[in-house]
Amino acid sequence: MDIKAYIQSGIIESYVLGLTSAEESAEVESLQLQFPEVWEAISEFSQLLENKAFENAITPPENVKAKIMAAIKDEKSQAPVITLASDTHKHVSANVFNLWRMVAAASVILFMVSAALNFYLYNRYSQKNEAYQALLTERNTLQANNQIFQTHLSEWQKAAEVMTDPAMAVIKMPGTPGKENHLATVYWNTKNKDVYVMPNRLPQPVKGKQFQLWALVDGKPVDAGVLDPACEGVCKMKNIPKAQAFAITLEKAGGSPTPTMEQMYVLGKV
Amino acid sequence: MVLLKQRQEFAFSYLYDHYSASLFSVIVSIVPDKELSNDILQEVFVKIWRQIETYDAAKGKLFTWMLNVARNTSIDAVRSKNYQQSQQNRELTETVYGAGGSTHTNTDNIGLRKIVHKLKEEYRVLVELSYFQGFTQDEISRMLEIPLGTVKTRMRTALIQLKQVIKP
Repeated sequence: MDIKAYIQSGIIESYVLGLTSAEESAEVESLQLQFPEVWEAISEFSQLLENKAFENAITPPENVKAKIMAAIKDEKSQAPVITLASDTHKHVSANVFNLWRMVAAASVILFMVSAALNFYLYNRYSQKNEAYQALLTERNTLQANNQIFQTHLSEWQKAAEVMTDPAMAVIKMPGTPGKENHLATVYWNTKNKDVYVMPNRLPQPVKGKQFQLWALVDGKPVDAGVLDPACEGVCKMKNIPKAQAFAITLEKAGGSPTPTMEQMYVLGKV
Repeated sequence: MVLLKQRQEFAFSYLYDHYSASLFSVIVSIVPDKELSNDILQEVFVKIWRQIETYDAAKGKLFTWMLNVARNTSIDAVRSKNYQQSQQNRELTETVYGAGGSTHTNTDNIGLRKIVHKLKEEYRVLVELSYFQGFTQDEISRMLEIPLGTVKTRMRTALIQLKQVIKP
């Protein structure tokens, strides 16, 4: 397109004066975006026209302005004159205000829902927490019990070792007359002379009393140790190199140097 | 909100003070009746107030836009049935009672319209009919019994000539 020819054709002046058809106007507007010379030509002629109009200006009567200002006051349109920004701003403000109201309403609902949910969830949590605590306690108990069982088990394991040791001499000690239902067993290691006793069926001694083991050596009773009530399975006693029999009597706690014959519970010959 | 409107009115007031006279001369060059031209000026500025959002700065100057509003409003007023009738009545009255005069301006001698007279007749006619009287090229072609193509090219040349005339 020959822009120079276009500009010189008179179409620019026609456009500025408002004499162009819709298509012609569209063409000019499109070209002025592409070609700065077109825009310049439009500017130039517009200015020329304005200057001429200014030169030939006729002052209108005074009262006309007042009428106009009064007329626009009634106008609903808030269109600003120089800048477009303020009107869109007002429109946007109104919209923004409505939007904020919507947001506020939505957030109130959201909050209420959230609060309800929180309440429900907290309840659930509380319950779960209680259950958890209970479970923990149970576990602790179980652990403690387990410990006890483990201890028992290891002690019985030891006892089993003692009892099945082929070097052990097993001396059964049945209940003495009047105490027939009692039973204890001595395990005497023939090799190292260690003595173990198992209180198979002996009552729990009362407070302040303790069972004591005696070895009968050449007619004389020798202290072989007191039975520790805490010991499970076999209890290790004193080492007895020689004995013909073993017996258990009930003595005061800590034992006695000589046995109380009336308190003999069990007796067994080697 | 009120403050905003006050600022707008202030700006609009400035607009009137600065441009009303320029626009008024165009209105007067089209509308001979003085009273009517005052009303037209009022109508034009109210239109500007209402339609300012349609003004696109990317397309041209504000004054060009306002001038077009003034021109079109003036032409519409002159072409309106009411006006035509009142003109006929006026002419009738004048004929009976003698020259009226004071309420009527000779538009031919106003501003741009006067300048147009400096053009060659064939160009002047075209500018007259199109710019000051609002006839389309089609209508002009029929009125003057000239082919449409000729009207188009001749119009363009006329406006180039006009530009030369109004250049300082």
